[in-house]
Amino acid sequence: MDVLDLARLQFAMTGSLHFLFVVLTLGLAPLVAIMHTRYARTGSTLDERATRFWGQIYVTNYALGIVTGIVMEFQFGLSWSGLTHYAGDVFGAPLALETLIAFFLESTFLGLWIFGWHRLPKWLHVATIWLVTITAYASAFWIMVANSFLQHPAGSVRDGEVLRLDDFGALLTNPSLSMALPHVLSAGLTVGGFVVMSASAYHLFRRTPDRELFSRSLRMGVWTAFAGTMMVVGFGFAQFGPVTGVQPDKFVDRPLAAFGLGMMILIGHLLQLVALVLVILVKWAPRWRFLHPLIMLVTPLPFIAAILGWIAREEGRQPWMIWERLTVADAITPGLTGGQITVSFVAFVGVLTLLAVADYVLIVRIVRRGAHEVALGENPAPAPALTF
Amino acid sequence: MDILWFGVLALLLIGYFTLEGFDLGVGMLLPLTPDRDRAIGAIGPFVLANEVWLIAVAGVLFGAFPACENVLSANYEAVVLLLVSWVLRDAGLWFRRRLFTRAFWEWTIAVASFGVCLAWGLLLAGLGGFSVPFGLLYGLLVAALFVMHGRRFLDWRLTGGGSLLVTGALAAVPAIVPLVGTAGAVVANAAPSANLTVLTFMVLPFVPVLAGAQIWVWRAFGKGPVPAYF
Repeated sequence: MDVLDLARLQFAMTGSLHFLFVVLTLGLAPLVAIMHTRYARTGSTLDERATRFWGQIYVTNYALGIVTGIVMEFQFGLSWSGLTHYAGDVFGAPLALETLIAFFLESTFLGLWIFGWHRLPKWLHVATIWLVTITAYASAFWIMVANSFLQHPAGSVRDGEVLRLDDFGALLTNPSLSMALPHVLSAGLTVGGFVVMSASAYHLFRRTPDRELFSRSLRMGVWTAFAGTMMVVGFGFAQFGPVTGVQPDKFVDRPLAAFGLGMMILIGHLLQLVALVLVILVKWAPRWRFLHPLIMLVTPLPFIAAILGWIAREEGRQPWMIWERLTVADAITPGLTGGQITVSFVAFVGVLTLLAVADYVLIVRIVRRGAHEVALGENPAPAPALTF
Repeated sequence: MDILWFGVLALLLIGYFTLEGFDLGVGMLLPLTPDRDRAIGAIGPFVLANEVWLIAVAGVLFGAFPACENVLSANYEAVVLLLVSWVLRDAGLWFRRRLFTRAFWEWTIAVASFGVCLAWGLLLAGLGGFSVPFGLLYGLLVAALFVMHGRRFLDWRLTGGGSLLVTGALAAVPAIVPLVGTAGAVVANAAPSANLTVLTFMVLPFVPVLAGAQIWVWRAFGKGPVPAYF
């Protein structure tokens, strides 16, 4: 493999790892916020345990979202400085706004939520998880603005050798963005719904003590997955018009993109069917044990579909970095050596893959342990008595 | 406008050194700290709010000074070291109570925090065209200042004495020197004023929220019992 292939593969692998965690974050955040709001209203132990249990899973998943995101952000500067050189005046704006007015707040509020148990006033504590949710969605918005610019350089104008920002509004109303953003957000809800269903199904199948908690969660997961799959498929098909308007041959002669698209659609419909059946049976689903292994079995599918969707979108852009403006080959950092890209490839992909595996092991362990021993929001140990 | 945005860049980088400086300092001190739970509990609630200053630095570099972004590829190895160390330090915090042994992750945090300092030395020295040995020495200086700041922070947080201002200001010095040295070149490479106007209009309404959220963290976690999540 040459330098370009390695740089592309590095971006594809770190990006895919990043999105596996981000997509669950986007889906779980509103669900945890709803549970926490319910707990603040009722004060019941059941609601408290549900919030802490799902919150712990959310936070553990979030850890890898952050560290993979850090590498993503700096990778543009390391390996793709040709992109910044050519279009930094346009592409840099949404990335800057994402860090300043979305992620900066998201990270700060998440710290307040994690460590705010037994410390912040009840409703302010609830407010922090809603702020985390809102800023996570804002983050997704700005990242999709940046990605949509690569698909279709709206709002920019050629100025000699480079692109300049011409119309900021056009950047935000990019036809590549309008249906893709809700598609991504509903993919998040789909993943969140299936994960919540699946973990609940595990406990109901094993007949663990928290029957009521997991019956409720299962129903919440079913409704979320139902809404998510309906929207993700709807917005997915709604993209064809605007996308083929600006990228007419996106899936022509690009076999990997076409494969990704086809498989994603297949899985999308399958999940839609599963969610539809479950929503009809939602009243009995917690009791019908034969359903539970089936639910657990399909849970990897929405994650796979999410990655396939990105393969379709990004492979369908090749060989362009910015559609019909800049090729990927011209976007790579000039003078990037084989040694450099090999070292960073091994360092980033190696470390992040190991950490991702460790994180999933941890999430599975948290799920299996159940809602009785949750570190998040534990009562603080009493302060040691003063001794003389 | 370009000077205003250079001010934002400088403020964010200085803020990162001052704030994340004590997290990294406490990290490096872990092998010498008898009560590691309390030390990590002291920095825990601040880490997410502190490290994000550097992500904002990178964002401002992309948005307001894209022509300067080649400092990253020009210092490729230093940036890779910075990122890998940062990732491992974070992983150490998240996993310490949960996977393998605590000692494994505590050593990871300590070594990775030191790696971040060395990477900063190499990167900042690289900006001025200095050699690698000088960069490593500069990194040792960064590490020493952060350790001092970290010790001061632990005293302040756990026993409630004194102030963080002096060590905080000292921790920022390694960032201030190159900022002063490169100010002219950075400002000359600012994005067109139309871009900066858009960024200003978008960010300005959020400034009180950004500041408020940071102040809230300090008010909520500056005193009282030490939480035990990390």
